[in-house]
Amino acid sequence: MNQFLRFLIVLLPILILVFFARVLLVDEDIKFSNFKSKSFPEFQLNDLNGNPIQAKSLNGIKLINVWASWCITCLVEHPFLTELSDKNIQIIGLNYKDSDTKAIAWLRKHGNPYLFSIYDPRGDLAFDLGVTGAPESYLIIDNKVLAYIQGEMNQTKWDNIFLPLIKKARQGS
Amino acid sequence: MIGEISHFLSLSAVVLLSLVLIFNFFFFFSKAYPNQVTLSLRLFNQACWLVFISFGMYVYLAISDDFSIAYIASHSNSQLPVFYKITSIWSAHEGSMFLWILFLAVWSFLFINSLEKDHPLKKLTLMMLCSIILGFLLFLLLTSNPFERILPFGALEGADINPVLQDPALAIHPPMLYLGYVGFVIAFSFITAYLFNGNFELQWERDIKNWSFVAWIFLTIGITLGSWWAYYELGWGGYWFWDPVENVALMPWLAATAFMHSMFASSKSNVLKTWTMFLGILIFALSLFGAFIVRSGIIDSVHSFANDPERGLYLLSFSGLITLLAMGILAYRLPSLHSSKLVVTGSKESFISMNNILMITSIFSIFLGITYPLIIESITGEKVSIGPPYYNTIFSPLILIASIFIMISVDALWQRSMPLRILSIVTVLPTILSLFFVYIIWYTTNIFSILAYIGIFSGLIILFSYSLRTINNIFNKRFINKGSAIAHIGLGLLFFAVSMNSILSYEKNLNLAPGQSVTVNESVTEFFFKDIKVLKASNHDVISAEVFLLQDKKSLFLNPQKRKYATRGQITSESAIHASVLKDTYLTIGDQLENGSWTFSLKINYFIKWIWFSAALMVLGMLLTIFKKKMS
Repeated sequence: MNQFLRFLIVLLPILILVFFARVLLVDEDIKFSNFKSKSFPEFQLNDLNGNPIQAKSLNGIKLINVWASWCITCLVEHPFLTELSDKNIQIIGLNYKDSDTKAIAWLRKHGNPYLFSIYDPRGDLAFDLGVTGAPESYLIIDNKVLAYIQGEMNQTKWDNIFLPLIKKARQGS
Repeated sequence: MIGEISHFLSLSAVVLLSLVLIFNFFFFFSKAYPNQVTLSLRLFNQACWLVFISFGMYVYLAISDDFSIAYIASHSNSQLPVFYKITSIWSAHEGSMFLWILFLAVWSFLFINSLEKDHPLKKLTLMMLCSIILGFLLFLLLTSNPFERILPFGALEGADINPVLQDPALAIHPPMLYLGYVGFVIAFSFITAYLFNGNFELQWERDIKNWSFVAWIFLTIGITLGSWWAYYELGWGGYWFWDPVENVALMPWLAATAFMHSMFASSKSNVLKTWTMFLGILIFALSLFGAFIVRSGIIDSVHSFANDPERGLYLLSFSGLITLLAMGILAYRLPSLHSSKLVVTGSKESFISMNNILMITSIFSIFLGITYPLIIESITGEKVSIGPPYYNTIFSPLILIASIFIMISVDALWQRSMPLRILSIVTVLPTILSLFFVYIIWYTTNIFSILAYIGIFSGLIILFSYSLRTINNIFNKRFINKGSAIAHIGLGLLFFAVSMNSILSYEKNLNLAPGQSVTVNESVTEFFFKDIKVLKASNHDVISAEVFLLQDKKSLFLNPQKRKYATRGQITSESAIHASVLKDTYLTIGDQLENGSWTFSLKINYFIKWIWFSAALMVLGMLLTIFKKKMS
């Protein structure tokens, strides 16, 4: 009996440990693969000028950039985004938890690299998309989210994460 | 700059603690350093001071709105009152982990310095405490660094604390709970040290008794505050939801309660020693498990912090290592731990050991409730959820059996069997009285629920046996253990109140336009929705309804609100509660419908106050026990 008990008080914690380690590790894989196939959430929002956004405007290859007038890092990545839009990359802004007047003033002051900006003052779409803060950028090809980064967008991240996927998509079509 | 200094101090604490560990590890058996313990202790104390100062500086950073620190920028705001600027530190993962470490250091510091200078277990306890603090500090700095800066430019304004957390009860709920969780590190380290040491002649109970009692008090207060906050702030009208994170707090509480009872037996009559040690280790292991569940994100819950598998893996391996170490040494020493004495049937110890088994069963049932959905998901891929029905069904019989033992044990003696004659006196009267009351409740309410009546009966037999015994002993001027009597009466009251609440409470949903009035039922004869107003407060807008109720021929004015917070756009609901001795009238305002009317949810909750009161009684009982110990 005693031998059994000795065995048990060590075995039980080990079993629990192994089980949770498995849950943790498996979970991560699922999350990764889920992310790949995630489609862009449905939403009903206006752009900054108050015009409703058509779902079809998200077709094709688009870069969604989460920004706000209160966000300082957004200002840091702004020149790079402008560079991208000059190279005919279509960028859609997701104006996050901001006020439209401040956002419009910000674009007027610093320039507008976006085709248009989705006005999301409560962060509804951002929540569905899984945004944790501004700035973040999402690569969308035919309504599917293929990659994303948190924080400032720059040449390295663009070259390493986004560009290969865009090239692949262009070859495919 | 202050951020960097604070960060640096925490890093220095890591270095000092590693030094203590390495030093003690390599010179463990060496006689060359007679001052080894003194030196290690000095280093350890300095490390603790570094943690204290580092935390203090972090508090200063939060008060002074340093939004270049990422964590502060995303959880505080310059508009917040100073009190909430401080509490915002523990409103999310990184900061609350920091608080957890602060408390670890505080408890360890106080305990290790309270031990006599040449206590034989001092060195080993120090090493245990040292490795636990070190493990958590590394976890903080490596995976969840609260000192991280936003570079190159800080934020201008913080993103604000989650508004439902802007509440005094919630501000002190985490610190209380953590003080409880972490306080058991003392029992854990000391018992492990005792087992490693291998000199079983030592009396270890008295050194950790009061520490564990104090930790138990904090844990009880922490859980109660959380439940109280959920009741009046979340607007769900309940006080306990069997949420996974409530469960992981309840498990250490049950283990701690069993541990304290067991410790009485083990220190008074030298039995159940192995049980006591096992429970002492289990409490902290369950606290670690709780930290893992909450912070790894494997279970979705109101409490869970952001998902991060890396954190989960670190916590899992670290807590696993610590737990296995302790359980392993317990298993190794098990053969030599035989109590020379046997537990006498019918003695106080025998009832305590019965309830030990019941408590372990409850812990296991809760554990199963938490893990079962995960097990099923990992085998079949299906999602199942386990809710209150499972727990109610499992707990009713357990509570009944435990209550019967508690009732019988009111007159039991240490180390002596109790004569059958006394047994019948102790049990017959409370049982008859309780059955009578259950019948009356059934007759007057006309509601039948077997589980609830089991709960009511269980509560009543404890209440009656302990109150009758107390009254009797006061009249006959005989000794009465005040602490125990009050705590158990509190427990009886808790069972009673919870069960009564479950059968009597009800909810009505109403739709009214301003100016309308309706009759709800015989009790609430008029519900008059007078007006609705929109007000502005410093950081939120308020929609405030004015409602007059005519309840039991008394008129009440209730003022439920909805708040919209500016910075996060989050909407919270402030329920209006009118509390009387027996029942709470709990009114929440919902949404506005298209025709301009508003939805209300009116809940009548019975015996809610009694639940908080019974928790307070248990804490009071415990305080008396500690106090009595001090006096004698």
